Amino acid sequence: MLGTGICALPEARQYGEMMEAFFIWLESGSLSTWVRGETGWHMAFPVIIVFHALGMGFLVGVALAINARVLGIAQGIPVTIMRRFLPVALLALVVNAVSGVLLLIGYPTKALTNPVFYIKLGCIGLALWNLKWFDTHILANTVYDTGAIPKQAKKLAIASTALWGAAIIAGRLLAYTYVKLMSI
Amino acid sequence: MERNPTLQALSDWLESTWLGNAFIDQGYWSWPMAESLHFMGLCLLVGSVGLVDLRMLGMARGIPLSAIHRLIPFGVAGFLLNIMTGSLFVLGDADQYIFNDAFRFKLLFLAIAGINMLFFYSTAFRDAKMLGPEAHMPLKVKLMAGISLACWIGVITAGRLITFYRP
Repeated sequence: MLGTGICALPEARQYGEMMEAFFIWLESGSLSTWVRGETGWHMAFPVIIVFHALGMGFLVGVALAINARVLGIAQGIPVTIMRRFLPVALLALVVNAVSGVLLLIGYPTKALTNPVFYIKLGCIGLALWNLKWFDTHILANTVYDTGAIPKQAKKLAIASTALWGAAIIAGRLLAYTYVKLMSI
Repeated sequence: MERNPTLQALSDWLESTWLGNAFIDQGYWSWPMAESLHFMGLCLLVGSVGLVDLRMLGMARGIPLSAIHRLIPFGVAGFLLNIMTGSLFVLGDADQYIFNDAFRFKLLFLAIAGINMLFFYSTAFRDAKMLGPEAHMPLKVKLMAGISLACWIGVITAGRLITFYRP
């Protein structure tokens, strides 16, 4: 309903046609067909998906452990040393950015025409911003190795946990809520 | 390939159970919601057991093993969550799992992880958690941590591949 309403405007229709031309161009490209397993290696798509799941585990896993520590669980962990797990999260983030972009190149219409995809990206963006904030304001401060962590940070830890949960739900729902699989 | 009649009977029986049918009868969203919970459980496991393994392998020395081990209850919670949601998947659509090579590998990795864990807690944990924060773990402990981490990575890998190996 909303879509047809917007598309009634000539500019929006033009924009829609432009996007579709872009999707067709991308989906016809050799990288896109490779990701979908249509050319070359038939296991490309499953393997990319596996990396995306492993990256999720380590990125969200480290983030949740940090959130737990901020909330006062496992207080025997000095925060400045817990920081040494951040490279694991960063590596996982790189793995997921690369695998995520590959999946996007494989099925651009599927993701980009689904509002849930933007919710997922928004949640991840906010959760990553929060992780960065924890890194500079909490984990880098030796005072918090043993000292009490501010209430404000605890609220952020709860928000971050909810954001990662929402990102996971949104991500999983991408397989169930897409409106259009491909443009070609 | 011809199916093993015993496994076929098991599969049919699992699918006929009340719980499996009740799960499917919840409608279209029950499956994706259970999958989302399954992924959250995965993250809890990696964020606790995985980090303890990494610490034992030598990362983030300075954290006492006894301190980081406080995260383990979250891993146990994640594991229980995944046993529950995982059981719903198997009961709801047993045929897709019982005859699935990826699922069999997942169970294999789970079994090795379980045996390894029992071994670790019965032979090495008591001494290891007494070590100082800067301690290097004995080779035996590092080996068990490596096996654990590799098995959980194997569980996730095989688990994510299940959908591509449907019979």
